[in-house]
Amino acid sequence: MIGDLDYYKGLVEKCSHCALCEAVCPVYLEDMLETHVARARVDIIYQTLYKKSMPVTPRVREIIDRCLLCTSCTQDCGGAVPVHEIIITARAALYGGRKHDPLRDYFIREMMEKRGIKGFPALMLAAAQKLHVAPGGFPKVSLRTFDSLYHGRYPPTGKKRAKVAYFTGCATNTMDVETGVAVMKVLGHNGIEVVIPDKLMCCGIRALGEGDIKTAQKIVRNNIAILAEQEVDAIIVDCTSCGMMLRSETAKLLPADDPLLAKAVALSPKVFEVSDYLNTIGLAVEPGPLAESFTYHVPCHRGWTPTLNDAPLQLLAGIPGLKYSAMEEPEKCCGAGGAFFMDYSGLSRGIRKRKLDDITGTGAAVLISQCPGCRSYLSAGLGKRWKTVHPVTLLRRAYGL
Amino acid sequence: MKTEGSRIESLRKDLSRLLGGGKVRTEPEDLLAYSSDATRYYAQGKPEAVVLVESVDDVCKVLSYANQCAVPVTPRGAGSGLSGGSTPIKGGIVLDMKRMNKILEISKGNMTARTESGVVLANFHRAVEKERLFYPPDPQSMDVCTLGGNVACRAGGPRGVKYGTTPNYVLGLEAVLPDGSVINTGGISVKQANGYNITQILTGSEGTLAVITKVNLRLLPLPPERQTMIVVCDSAQLAAEMVSRIIYEGVVPAVLEYLEVGAIWLMNTYSPIPVAQDGQVYLLIEVDGTAAIVAEDIGVIKGIAEKMGAREIKIIDDKKQAAGIWKARRNLSPLVLRIFQKSISEDVTVPRDKIPEMVKAVREIGASLGVPVGMSGHAGDGNIHPGVQLYEITPEMEQKAEEAIRLMIEKGIELGGTISGEHGIGLHKSAYLEKELGKDQIELMKRIKYAFDPKGIMNPGKIWTEA
Ligand SMILES: Cc1cc2nc3c(=O)[nH]c(=O)nc-3n(C[C@H](O)[C@H](O)[C@H](O)COP(=O)(O)OP(=O)(O)OC[C@H]3O[C@@H](n4cnc5c(N)ncnc54)[C@H](O)[C@@H]3O)c2cc1C
Repeated sequence: MIGDLDYYKGLVEKCSHCALCEAVCPVYLEDMLETHVARARVDIIYQTLYKKSMPVTPRVREIIDRCLLCTSCTQDCGGAVPVHEIIITARAALYGGRKHDPLRDYFIREMMEKRGIKGFPALMLAAAQKLHVAPGGFPKVSLRTFDSLYHGRYPPTGKKRAKVAYFTGCATNTMDVETGVAVMKVLGHNGIEVVIPDKLMCCGIRALGEGDIKTAQKIVRNNIAILAEQEVDAIIVDCTSCGMMLRSETAKLLPADDPLLAKAVALSPKVFEVSDYLNTIGLAVEPGPLAESFTYHVPCHRGWTPTLNDAPLQLLAGIPGLKYSAMEEPEKCCGAGGAFFMDYSGLSRGIRKRKLDDITGTGAAVLISQCPGCRSYLSAGLGKRWKTVHPVTLLRRAYGL
Repeated sequence: MKTEGSRIESLRKDLSRLLGGGKVRTEPEDLLAYSSDATRYYAQGKPEAVVLVESVDDVCKVLSYANQCAVPVTPRGAGSGLSGGSTPIKGGIVLDMKRMNKILEISKGNMTARTESGVVLANFHRAVEKERLFYPPDPQSMDVCTLGGNVACRAGGPRGVKYGTTPNYVLGLEAVLPDGSVINTGGISVKQANGYNITQILTGSEGTLAVITKVNLRLLPLPPERQTMIVVCDSAQLAAEMVSRIIYEGVVPAVLEYLEVGAIWLMNTYSPIPVAQDGQVYLLIEVDGTAAIVAEDIGVIKGIAEKMGAREIKIIDDKKQAAGIWKARRNLSPLVLRIFQKSISEDVTVPRDKIPEMVKAVREIGASLGVPVGMSGHAGDGNIHPGVQLYEITPEMEQKAEEAIRLMIEKGIELGGTISGEHGIGLHKSAYLEKELGKDQIELMKRIKYAFDPKGIMNPGKIWTEA
């Protein structure tokens, strides 16, 4: 179970020290210091938290904190060492959910339970953004939230082909409502009935980043209980991080004797990112033409479904006139890492810089990605000439919806 | 005698004064991160300072300082070595070369390149292939290992069978000697007869003579086509004989890997390998060249395999699938730990026609000692990496493993082979080198070492054991 140091001991020992993680760790590639790559991080965790041969110094905390949890090393590791889970577990051991000052910790928990920035915090942030004093790269909050627009059941137009529950995370719910609207319209247009369940919380990934296992458990228990009730063919997300949480991490957060564990396991294969889902059932309506060119940034949290990487390309391939221009290393991290870019802004900007060069090198005008965090962080770096959207938004436009 | 703490502190002060604080690390966590290479099981040795050099000038400053104060210096690339070479067993300074990562020139006209030594091999591959040029050496750590590390270890890889290994491509080097002076060896001409071949003495010197800062490399035209195939054999003997036969018939595949069924099973957990897992040994082959040559070579190999009774022959047409298979192959060494607690991969290399005999001997050694042995490696050039894998790390098993390794090495030498085909001697094979080369040659090596490094600061304790 994530958060349980004992459970990970054997897995920590599976690190063969081969160094292949040096190829994929965005933080290491920016810092160019081996201490900041998985091999060393895991070793340092082993020496400090398991063998206790070294004290936990501020430097140890820095090494454990200075990780985006992008999962690139986990996905690539031949030894199957779940590095990001080990880092989260180490953070839990170090902080126990109290990583920042009480106010910030409270704010984060509020945001997760309310699924986004709403109410008073939203007004505050909106004001700060107007005055340009909010952290750069943070998306604009929308005071008109997705869940104030949509709740309950939405029958499709045309013949019904499937029924899904749509899980919107914090970003779609309170910052990128447009993506949510696009998903609703495109699914409905394709004969898919959509249910928006009530009382869902955020997916919990933010709590994991904080090492706050208790809050993460509270959140996933809430969500699993609600989602397990839905009589649907699939659970749809538009955000790859939400998808990763629901598909692959939730079950790892529940103790073996938790009655919800079986439900979480049963639910897992039903979770799809919306482009991937549309590919599996196929489009019912042919899209119209779009005379544009786009490029695609593959989000880091892609390891939970093998078909996720290519899903948007396959989905959009049927749009006449739409041109795909591949960037170099489309899987390279953008540096956002949820809220990482606020704490390590210099580092994140450095990581983003390489990505921006690759993106602008394509000569396209539209950037697609299925992660709202990547989209807003990249969009802040790209400037006004670029449109940065979820792939389904392009499809919506091709349908003229 | 200074205490460790005060030694570290004075190193930190001195080096920071020389280079600026940002390039010097001395915190215990950083020293731990630089304490071994990819073989931490064998030995660790903590440095007292890590220096992240960014220029030749930085290297000169550190070396002249270290030479003056007699502080050991261990150059380090990616730390992916498999011989303990970059493990600083005598403490001192570890020089991290990876920030010196600029490709300085790729010359299409001369078919050569000049780069800083910290360039990662895969990045170099990509850069030259963009120009439709080809740099064949492909140690399976290519995604991380550095050109400097490759030169220092004489790294090889699967393509060694057709294209040779790193030393075949090194034309010249820029290196910093322990006293801080800079030499430029060889050159950028593809043929040279200019006195002692210092380039090739530094190539394979494992950081014990000088710090390599730039490398001049020879390139080839990029073969336009390549094709992967897998041949499944019912026995190790058959596979070994097939390897010899393929070479004998004059077909030289770009890659001819020998993989036991266990390796295939593991690779399949990483990326799908589209063959049944009912064979004993799998030959993973790649041929390259023009479309006509590729087709012809595939045809010949297929013919040989059929005639000798291969269980299955699979041509991999899907390029993505082939890429997945090769990526899994590159990950084989960490994959082994999914099952075993410890895995020691040896580097004994035998003449190609002795492969069947070596395979047989390794199996017998394993059986007689009761230790799991495996062979997976570059069979095409006789470098099949016999190894020992342990389910459990106990003193008894460790001892047996050591014994098995000793026997394998002795067998390799007896067959006219070498104890290391590509990983280098470092720490882990130093006890065996004299057996292969004899005392006189080791003494000569020591005199060469003295000529470069009279104070003995460069990567001390490697290649030969100290009396
Ligand atoms: C998964 C895996 C697969 C591998 N596959 C292969 C393979 O197929 N073939 C193969 O040959 N090897 C292989 N290796 C071994 C290793 O990657 C190679 O030996 C590689 O050349 C080491 O490069 P490095 O940059 O990591 O050097 P390091 O390990 O950092 O150093 C190796 C040695 O070179 C010296 N050195 C490094 N840089 C310099 C420099 N600039 N100047 C002077 N001395 C220097 C060091 O002091 C040390 O003695 C593999 C390793 C792993 C982990």
